[in-house]
This record gives sequence, structure tokens and C-alpha cells, in this order.
Amino acid sequence: MSSTTDAAARRTRFDDLVGGYYADMFRYAAWLSRDRAVAEDVVQESLLRAWKSLDSLRDDAAAKHWLLTIVRRENARYFERKRLETVDIDNLTGAQSALLAEEPDHQAEHMREAIFELEDDYREPLVLQVLMGYSTNEIAELMGLRQGAVLTRLHRARHKLKESMDK
Amino acid sequence: MNCEEYREAITADPSYDGGAAHLSDCAACQAYRREILAFDKTIAGALTIEVPPLKMPALPEIETHKVVTLKPRSRIVSTWLAVAATVTIAAVVGFRMLATDIVYESLEDEILAHLDHEPAALVVSDKPVSDRRLNRVVPASIATVGHGAGLITYAQTCVINGKDIPHLVIQGERGPVTVLLMPDEKIDAAADLKGEHTRGVLLPVGEGSIAIIGNREESIAPITSSILKSVAWET
Repeated sequence: MSSTTDAAARRTRFDDLVGGYYADMFRYAAWLSRDRAVAEDVVQESLLRAWKSLDSLRDDAAAKHWLLTIVRRENARYFERKRLETVDIDNLTGAQSALLAEEPDHQAEHMREAIFELEDDYREPLVLQVLMGYSTNEIAELMGLRQGAVLTRLHRARHKLKESMDK
Repeated sequence: MNCEEYREAITADPSYDGGAAHLSDCAACQAYRREILAFDKTIAGALTIEVPPLKMPALPEIETHKVVTLKPRSRIVSTWLAVAATVTIAAVVGFRMLATDIVYESLEDEILAHLDHEPAALVVSDKPVSDRRLNRVVPASIATVGHGAGLITYAQTCVINGKDIPHLVIQGERGPVTVLLMPDEKIDAAADLKGEHTRGVLLPVGEGSIAIIGNREESIAPITSSILKSVAWET
């Protein structure tokens, strides 16, 4: 096989993987950063990094976990560079507000605000469980935590959301 | 199982299917379960935000012929020819260029970047690698690793600074800990390794060095101590 064919096959493999998981990558980045514009930047950087290290992915069945791990690290890098402070929900940028005001559905908007206000430690495992369909064991693997710690965080996350929704 | 235990379990994980005996006898917990499942649907709806169209960034050209170590095995090339090609290319461009076009500013940078290349290695696990695999990755001609090193759950030969080195993962108190054994990577002094979510040390050991990196919450000192006691270069 020529190097041109190899390159084409590599690009096809990459496009297939990204096409299948792009929405997950964006939503994960958006809920990690709580900012659509930041999420777009993080996903762009993640795609570049994934492209460069595609050959380290030996099993395409593990692609979702691999891509989300890259998004997680790129998000951390982004915030390390920018050193952004805690977000005040009463003083949001346009891109942050855009994440909350997606549709004229009062309950969804209220819930989105409550999720937005959760601490990172609670919001991330919740997103992974509810949106990405991760088991608590898989969340523990991705976040480098014990499973018990994940269960505690998820329990507290839902309690906090219930409290916010009951207000 | 009582009501409190059941509700705690299902609040943390609505897919929890234990406690069936309790659930069948407790109408209040049945109602609580329905409430949690409905609540999760609301959460899922709120999280499912609109996704903008995919804008693929400009992807740099990757010289695929350099990625010789990961060619599919099904290629119709004899093993000897493949080995010969690998050795020839390696001799010309060097293993460093084979692995990546990136030139790192320091050994520390390359080590931290290497962790990004193998995210699958960093999983919490209680399953040790087999002795056979460990012996293949860390042959006696390089080093011996004693049982006091800890629970080794991953072993892979990797390339750092152009040299094949054993990459191990040991389970620490707060998650997986990466250990890179670099028998030929002599350094003058110990250095701290600081990544976004990781921290560790690069230690001079005899004629080589060992890098030990865990997540930020991990206490590296006891692991370092047990590694240094358990690993001996075969030189």
C-alpha cells in the first residue's frame, strides 16, 4: 500500500471515529467548561490532538473513551492557560448564557441552570453518567477516582439538583 | 436492605438493580424510584444541548510510513521484510522521529506528553498483568521488578527519547500511577513533573532514571519508596 493510500485510510478512519462521537465531545466539553465558545475551542484542540495520536488508538471500540479523555485533558489545559475564575450565574458572558437559554422550556431551563451551578466535581460525573451512558466504574476510570467516590458525588449531585428544582 | 440504603443506591445510580426484595415490598421506595427515573429524564433533557456543525480543523499531514510499529498484521509482507524495513527506516530517521514529529524541549515534557498518548493505560483496575507479559516488557536484561512494587495493571513497551522503555501502571491509593523505567536515560538530578492533573518525580537511578507520575491527589512518596526498593537495573 502506498503512503498516499495509507494517509487516505488514516483520514477515513479518523473521520469515521469523529463523526460518530463529535456530538458527545462537544456536549462533554460544553458541560465541563460551561461555555459554548470555550467548548468549540476545546473540541478543535482535541481533534488536532486526536489526529496526531490516532495511531496510539489500537482498538476503535475504545474510541469514545479515548476521545473523551482527550477532551477532558484539553479542557484542563484551556483553563490552566486562561486561569478562569468561578462563573457567577448572574453575570454571564453571551456564550455562557447561550448554553442555558437553548429553548423556551421553563423546566429544562431551570434544570440547566441548576446543573450549571453544580460544582465541577459533581457536574462532571453526572454528565458522564446521564449523557454519555457511562457506568460508575467507567466514570471512576476516566476521572481517576474510586467507584465509591463517584457514587458519593452522583448522590450529592442529584440531591443538590433536587434542592435547586424545589426552590 | 432498608429504605435509606435503597434510596442512597438508586439516587447515585438510577440503573441500580439490586434490592429487588426490598423494592417489591416497599411502595414508598417504588414511588421514589419512579421519581428518580423521571428526574433523570429531565436532567438528560437539560444536558442534551444543541451541537454546532462539525468544523474540522486544518489537520497536519502525518507521514504514515513512519508509523511502522502499528501497521495492521494482515499486511501481505513477510515478517522478515517488515523487520528489515523497520530497522532500515529506524536507522535513517531515528526512533524519535518514528514515534512523533514533535520535538520536546525536555525529557520531562516528553514524559508528560506520553501520558496523553496512552489514556487507556490510566484505568483503575484490580487485575494484575500476567508475569509473562511483565517479563516480556521488562526483560531480565533490562531490570528486575520485585513483588513489592505494588499492583501492576499495565505493562507496555514505549518509546521515550528514541529508546524503547518499559511503561508500567501501578494502582495507587487515589488511582493509577505511571512508572517509566529508563535504564539508559541518565540525568543529573531529580526533577518534579507537573501536568494539568498529574504530578510526579523523575529520579536519577544508577545509570538511568525512573519517572513516577500519579494524579494530583496521589501521595507519590510511598510509591516512590517501594519502586526504588523493588526495581534493580541489570547492568
